[in-house]
Amino acid sequence: MKTFAWFCVTLAMALVLITAPAQAAKEIKVGIVDCYSGPPATYTNDVRDAFKMEVDKINAAGGVLGRKIVFTTRDSKFKVDIGLSAAKELIYRENVDILMGTINSALALAISDLAAKEKVPFFATFSKSAKITGAKGHRYVFSITENTALVGKAGAAGLAKRPYKKYWIAGDDYEYGHAVADGVWDNLKKLRPDVELLGQSWWKVGEPDFTPYITAILSAKPDAVIIATGGRDCVPFLKAAKTTGFNERMPFFMHTATELSTLKPLGLDGPEGVIGTSNYFFYYPDSEANRQFVAEFKKAYNREPAVGAVYGMLAARFISQAYLKAGKAETEAFIDAVEGLTVDSPVGPVTMRACDHQATLPMFMGVTKKVAGYDFLMATDIVTIPGEEVMPSCEEIAASRK
Amino acid sequence: MQQVLVGLSRTTILFIVASGLSLVLGVLRIPNVAHGSLYMIGAFVTYTVATVFGQSAAGFFIALVVAPLVVALISFLVERGLFCHLYEREHLMLLLFTFSFTLVFGDLVKLIWGSDYRSLTAPEFLQGAFSIQGMPFPRYNLFLLIIGPIVAAGLWFLTNRTKIGKIARAAAVDREMVGAVGINVSWVFAAVFVIGCYLAGLGGALVAPTQNITQGMDHAIIIEAFLIVIIGGLGNIWGALLGALIFGLTDSIGILLWPQFAIVFPYVAVVTVLLFRPQGLLKSTW
Repeated sequence: MKTFAWFCVTLAMALVLITAPAQAAKEIKVGIVDCYSGPPATYTNDVRDAFKMEVDKINAAGGVLGRKIVFTTRDSKFKVDIGLSAAKELIYRENVDILMGTINSALALAISDLAAKEKVPFFATFSKSAKITGAKGHRYVFSITENTALVGKAGAAGLAKRPYKKYWIAGDDYEYGHAVADGVWDNLKKLRPDVELLGQSWWKVGEPDFTPYITAILSAKPDAVIIATGGRDCVPFLKAAKTTGFNERMPFFMHTATELSTLKPLGLDGPEGVIGTSNYFFYYPDSEANRQFVAEFKKAYNREPAVGAVYGMLAARFISQAYLKAGKAETEAFIDAVEGLTVDSPVGPVTMRACDHQATLPMFMGVTKKVAGYDFLMATDIVTIPGEEVMPSCEEIAASRK
Repeated sequence: MQQVLVGLSRTTILFIVASGLSLVLGVLRIPNVAHGSLYMIGAFVTYTVATVFGQSAAGFFIALVVAPLVVALISFLVERGLFCHLYEREHLMLLLFTFSFTLVFGDLVKLIWGSDYRSLTAPEFLQGAFSIQGMPFPRYNLFLLIIGPIVAAGLWFLTNRTKIGKIARAAAVDREMVGAVGINVSWVFAAVFVIGCYLAGLGGALVAPTQNITQGMDHAIIIEAFLIVIIGGLGNIWGALLGALIFGLTDSIGILLWPQFAIVFPYVAVVTVLLFRPQGLLKSTW
């Protein structure tokens, strides 16, 4: 009896050993490095979950080129060194075919460097630095999210349509804050030469109390304010805006203010009347494709998808459809196939521009408002700013890479 | 005017937290780095208790009472279980020991409450803002302005009018002598430690509705609290009040005068004070 048991175990192990490499050759391996601990997880979990949902669907239909897509995740803890070594481990030990991830721009740039060296395609899913596909772009890096340059142009395009003349700029005193503020302001001045900047305030990242900043801005009496905060400070700032009545006294623009990930934690305490931009809302665009996506996501995870879900889904679609287009699982052919590829998405068709590897995503500018039936605020009066309108030209990109 | 009032309400929180730190530092000679973690725990417990009561006004005030007591209980257990065996060690050891507690408490908070933001609403009648000279002044900040002096008066009463306060002050100056006259110094220390930590919890509870309750709020406050204690004079509660005033007011007025570089104002004030009075503004008990 005992001998038989051992025989079974040995047989099972032998089978595993024989089949494992055979199976590995028939898989497309994706490695995701992202921050899954701390506040940024609010944004990144949606990327991963939507990616998984889409990949499961593709695999259920037989995969691509007869191969299944598998993926593995690593937590970067929002640290560049941890994330970079995780990316290295994924390349050298796990032999991944494709890398994706990171909400941290500095880490995205570091992984992008590694990707160029190792010739592994890398999809940046949530990092907003314009450098990723701008000055530091290369053949192996793709961005499927908006970046600070696009936000600047979109924000300016939306604000230029409004009657404000005297502005104040306030934000987080770090790379993202200044990049967004400069982007909006430079473009706004081009569109509306009569605007005037009354002054600026910059607070430290993680500022505990915004009240003194808000009262100081109010006493300067600008017509409108551009708020350049990102990540962890969005929610606290909006909360302070509500308690001080800032949103009722002063129109202000804040990128990501209308995003679900920002508004949901605030519940009905969110300030109304804030102008914000986002790539996606689960209730907008009101199209069949979006309704279907929301229904599927809700069924799988029991929550509404936030903007990250669209990035995750786009990543899965670009990867699978590029392999189909290339007709073989080979990196260089894959990259050629991604270039110029257009995939369907809940926000309409999205094209990966060949010259800079930046996905052309539409931007939606809306105003926060309470809507009956939801226990958080929603964006209303949504204006669509098409991706083509805010993308820098290929010549500009080429010039910045010199 | 507006800016001064806003600065003063921030001062309230800073004073409450820093006075607790100063008390422990003065009497027990423990540079309690974990003080900020207790403040964070206070905020999280406030959130939980208030949520249990459906974030109603009554729930908020119950939380305001319960949360600091929970923090006090935790600190009591830690003091009796661990700290009381370590008083004779050198400061560096104590510093490292309390630092290890910031890590333990930080992970504990992560385990219990997760890494998401928590948001607490102030009771209905404390929401919104008054208009003073056409500028908004949040009602909750006015509430803080009322609480601040009450806490200060309570502390004054405790240290000057009660027996334990007097013993604690005596123990701060010469603990061996206090022990020699037949007083159980160990229990006096425990009481002072618990009161100091209670204040951290109270600060956390009071700050909860004004900001998002999140990991990392412990580090932000502990640095400011230490700076305040240092410029005020180590271990001197009134020094903590003075330090908190300087810190809170330079911060809010700096924002009005020079918004682009407002971040540096309180630190410039700290450096200036230390240049002229390296021992702190008021008499240190060290």
